[in-house]
Amino acid sequence: MTATMSKSPGAGMYPPVAKLNLAADPRKMRRIIAEDPEWSLTVVPLLSNLCLQHIVRNFEEKPILEELLPRHKDYVLERLSPSLPLQVTANLISDDGYWKRCCKQRWGLCDVSSYGHSWKRMFFERHLENIIELYIPDATDPKTVLGMVPLCRNYVKRLDISQLMPPIKEPQKSEDDDNSDSASDMGMDGPSMDHFDFGILLDKLNHLEEFHVVYRVKGCGMNFEWNLFEFTFRDCESLAKALKSCKTLKVLRIHQSKVDDEKCRQLVNNLLDHPSLRELNLSHNLIGDRGARAIGKLLNRSKLERLTVYDNNIRGPGAQAIAYALAKNSSLLSLNLRLNRLGDEGGQAIAQALLKNRTLKWLHLGGNEMTEPTATVLSQVLVQNNTLRSINLSCNRLGMDGGKVLEEGMCHNSSMVECDIRLTEVGQESDYCISQVVRNNQNQAHRKHNTEENLAQTSEHY
Amino acid sequence: MFFSHLSFRQELGDDSREKKEIKEEARKSQHQVEQSEKRMIKLQSDGTELVTNIQVAADSRESRRQTEVEEAHRLRVEKLENEAKSSLEKFEEITRKWTVAKMKEIPQDLRDSLSSQQQLCALLIEDKNKLIHELQKEMKLSDDRYVKDLKKQAEDVDLMIERMEDQVKFLMGSYRDELDQIENSFEHERKILLTGNRKKWEQYTKERRDKELENVTQRMKRVEEYEVLLQQLRTEDTEEYNMIKIKLDTDVQILEQQLQQMKATYQLNQEKLEYNFQVLKKRDEENTITKSQQKRKITRLQDVVNNLKIKCANQEKQSREENQNLTDDYTRIMQQYKHMQKKMRHFAAIDAKKFEEVWLMNEEEVKALVEKALDTDRLVHEQQLGLAWQRPSLAFMERCGPLQPHRQTQKTAHQAISELLQLGQTSGLGKGKYQEAGVGPGAESPGLAVEVYDSGAGLESGSSEVEREREGSEGEHSGTVSVKIVKKLLELLCDEAGFLIESKLLKLLSPLEKDEQSLMKLDSIFTAMGIESEEDVYKLADFFMKYRHTQGEQTQDVSAKWGVASPQAERGEFTSSCSPPSDLIHPNDVLVALRAFTAQHCRPRELAASHQHSMLGLGGRDDTEDAAYWEAMGDVIPEAKLKIWGALEAALDKYHIVLTERSKFITDTQSLKQQNTELRMLLHQYVNSRVNAELEIPPNLVMQLAPEGTN
Repeated sequence: MTATMSKSPGAGMYPPVAKLNLAADPRKMRRIIAEDPEWSLTVVPLLSNLCLQHIVRNFEEKPILEELLPRHKDYVLERLSPSLPLQVTANLISDDGYWKRCCKQRWGLCDVSSYGHSWKRMFFERHLENIIELYIPDATDPKTVLGMVPLCRNYVKRLDISQLMPPIKEPQKSEDDDNSDSASDMGMDGPSMDHFDFGILLDKLNHLEEFHVVYRVKGCGMNFEWNLFEFTFRDCESLAKALKSCKTLKVLRIHQSKVDDEKCRQLVNNLLDHPSLRELNLSHNLIGDRGARAIGKLLNRSKLERLTVYDNNIRGPGAQAIAYALAKNSSLLSLNLRLNRLGDEGGQAIAQALLKNRTLKWLHLGGNEMTEPTATVLSQVLVQNNTLRSINLSCNRLGMDGGKVLEEGMCHNSSMVECDIRLTEVGQESDYCISQVVRNNQNQAHRKHNTEENLAQTSEHY
Repeated sequence: MFFSHLSFRQELGDDSREKKEIKEEARKSQHQVEQSEKRMIKLQSDGTELVTNIQVAADSRESRRQTEVEEAHRLRVEKLENEAKSSLEKFEEITRKWTVAKMKEIPQDLRDSLSSQQQLCALLIEDKNKLIHELQKEMKLSDDRYVKDLKKQAEDVDLMIERMEDQVKFLMGSYRDELDQIENSFEHERKILLTGNRKKWEQYTKERRDKELENVTQRMKRVEEYEVLLQQLRTEDTEEYNMIKIKLDTDVQILEQQLQQMKATYQLNQEKLEYNFQVLKKRDEENTITKSQQKRKITRLQDVVNNLKIKCANQEKQSREENQNLTDDYTRIMQQYKHMQKKMRHFAAIDAKKFEEVWLMNEEEVKALVEKALDTDRLVHEQQLGLAWQRPSLAFMERCGPLQPHRQTQKTAHQAISELLQLGQTSGLGKGKYQEAGVGPGAESPGLAVEVYDSGAGLESGSSEVEREREGSEGEHSGTVSVKIVKKLLELLCDEAGFLIESKLLKLLSPLEKDEQSLMKLDSIFTAMGIESEEDVYKLADFFMKYRHTQGEQTQDVSAKWGVASPQAERGEFTSSCSPPSDLIHPNDVLVALRAFTAQHCRPRELAASHQHSMLGLGGRDDTEDAAYWEAMGDVIPEAKLKIWGALEAALDKYHIVLTERSKFITDTQSLKQQNTELRMLLHQYVNSRVNAELEIPPNLVMQLAPEGTN
């Protein structure tokens, strides 16, 4: 990670144009160049080739591409330099080959499968992420970001911001090599913003669907300071407004950013009735009961399908609020409350809610200090609820009795495919029985799936 | 209870599995695949469990840490609170002691108290320091713990990676094993199938071989049989072949000869055809040329036709206009002509009247003179000579008016017919009358007859006169036709030529008597035929007779009866009146004869008509007799008398001389003579005047006709 970090600023915005010393080119001295499949002995190349070469050379001044024949187009695209300015290429070239070369040249190792197998999307997403991650408030011109918007707005679907720079307060504290020269900013009273303001960007990206952000600085090493990891109210306010303005957003992830109750409430208030939001991830934060209550409110004022709030500080009352919302909800499919402090109070509330809920399929309650009373309610859930497919109760002290109760509930269940009860101090027998039932259910589901496939095949045959 | 459930379930599962095995015994590979799949799923879940175990452990550790941290936090807070409490107490004690110390006035005490205070403060500070130290220790501990945790996490991560790799490796190995097993099972299945198929194959090949052997032996046998047969056939065929060959050779020779002949003829024909072809070609060319010429001509002619059509149309227009003009002229002229005619008639009538008046006047005068002369003559005779004077017959003296020319000869056809019919009606009587008539004139003096004739008295239009006239006319036609025959003919005509009569007329005639009817009919027929005069009627009869003769001669050969009958009829014509009507002419031939007559007769009649017309217009009167008339008037005193008169005169002259008074008489006679000449001049003038010629009907003729109509 650090390696890429240190490399990317040095590489600059665009890779440098390779200047070929023609005289020193050893190919000039050779008669036969076997490794080049396009090399030929003919001294005078074809006029069309000459023209195409000229087009390639002067592409920056005069981009001619769409008018060409498909064959010539391929020729030109193959030879275009990846270091051409984006203003020329962004909306003109749609060929993935060119963008693949650009990505390879810029980042070397690339995994295009996580970008919908589109090299162009990958290029622009990563390019924009880079710009935002290196944006220093008050030091960098916002136009560097805004200038990119018209070029990349049609291609960016996901933004994964892995760091955000704080404003420079003390020049001697240089987090990065770049910031050493901004000593002149000392005279200012305070920074106009604490981090990059997404409000200027999100409403312009009309294809944005996923947005991940972390308010921290990567790889600070021994320059650690608490204020590098600060998510201030001002940031929260601007971010919340920006999120509200982005109507296409489906997935939002804000983690490891010290989101406490107040900030959570502010975010949720702005996300209420969002037209497209499907997934919310606020893991590794400091959300307490009040924040949980706000999230519970959000559950029934949006179309959320996945809610992930693990490693927070939610306790019984917060869990009760979420459970209350869950009982009424009919859209949520997955709920993750791992590593919270629900306790029996919260666990029972969630389980009671599950008796009414008929949509939730995936539930994670690991590490929540739940004990036997929760297990009894859950066994009832196992008997009555047929939609729940997977439940994770690991790291809760259910005890032997809790295990037995669960086992009894499990015997009447036929929908559960996954049940994790590791480190819950249940008896081995219960563990075995539960795993047996789960396996049977799995087999049945598998068989069902197979028969369905066979049916589909036979119907296709007929 | 659960176990029972479970075992039951397992049993069920086993049962189903067994069933499946039974069902799919044939497909072990499938089974193997399923088993492998299951095994792999199990392995995978185990592996993931193994890997996630670390996470779960970390989770539990984390939760434990959280609880510990919480606990520590709680303890720390408690401790701090306790500390704060105790330190507060101490502080209060110190502050309390400060007031006590302030009260102290003895420096020793103050120093003691201050030192105790100092001690107390030091104690407090020491406590605080201790606390700080403890906290720092705790922090250090937690730092250590953080480092340891970090290390632990790193280890965990490493372990996880290791396990993952192991898992991957293991899974790969097991996948490979399973794959091998599946492949083996497939291989095994394939081998079994192969051996089975091979066995079958061998069995089938063996069967085939046996069959082939059998077939071969059979074939050999058959081949031998067939060879024998072939040999036989071959010998037969060669013989036949030879015969046919000889025959065909001769045929070939004949055919070659024919071929040569045919070739020759073909050559000839070819040449002919070529020649014909050339000729036809030439003709075709000529034809094409002429065709083009014709076409050209047609176009030219069409132009001409068009021009002519236009011209014709113009001409027609013109001529129509002209015609119109001419018809207008014609009508105008006709009107003028009619007008003129009217005038002319008017003038003719006036002239005739004048003439008559003049005539009458002169006549009167002449008569007076004649009377006078006669008187004088009588006087001369009685008084001078003393002779008895006999008055000469003076017929003309009774007469008055101008002389009528003799026109009664030309009787109209109508009259002729009516007479004829009347004649026929009184056939028996007619005969008597005829005799009488014949006797009548004979008895009368010829002088009288001449006198009558000369005087032209139309007043004497009695039946006798008619008879006589007929006699005369019959005298003309006597050689050809008799009245009887004519009558018969007319009757015949009346029957046959009924179509010429108008239907209206027929209707009108129906109430009349038969004779009247036939009269009217004949009248209309004659008008239709253009026959007007009696002469024409007789002509017609004559023609009919002639026609009959010719016809009779023609038909004599055909029918003997007809031929015999006709001369009899001819002979009996004059003697007997009861000759059959069929003798005259056959009714069937009437129409033919009529047509022939009209064709022949029409022209001369027309000419005559025109002539008559002109005569009618110009020469009204015949003045040949006038001179005689007037002469007769003048010759009242005959020559002998005149001689007497001369002698007398001479005597009288002498007497005159003596008697001068007698000169007076002489002057009288002279004046009379002068008067006479003057009158003669006048008469001459009248006679020669053109007005007379314009008279349509001379007045004397009219006078003559009037008595006839009454008769």
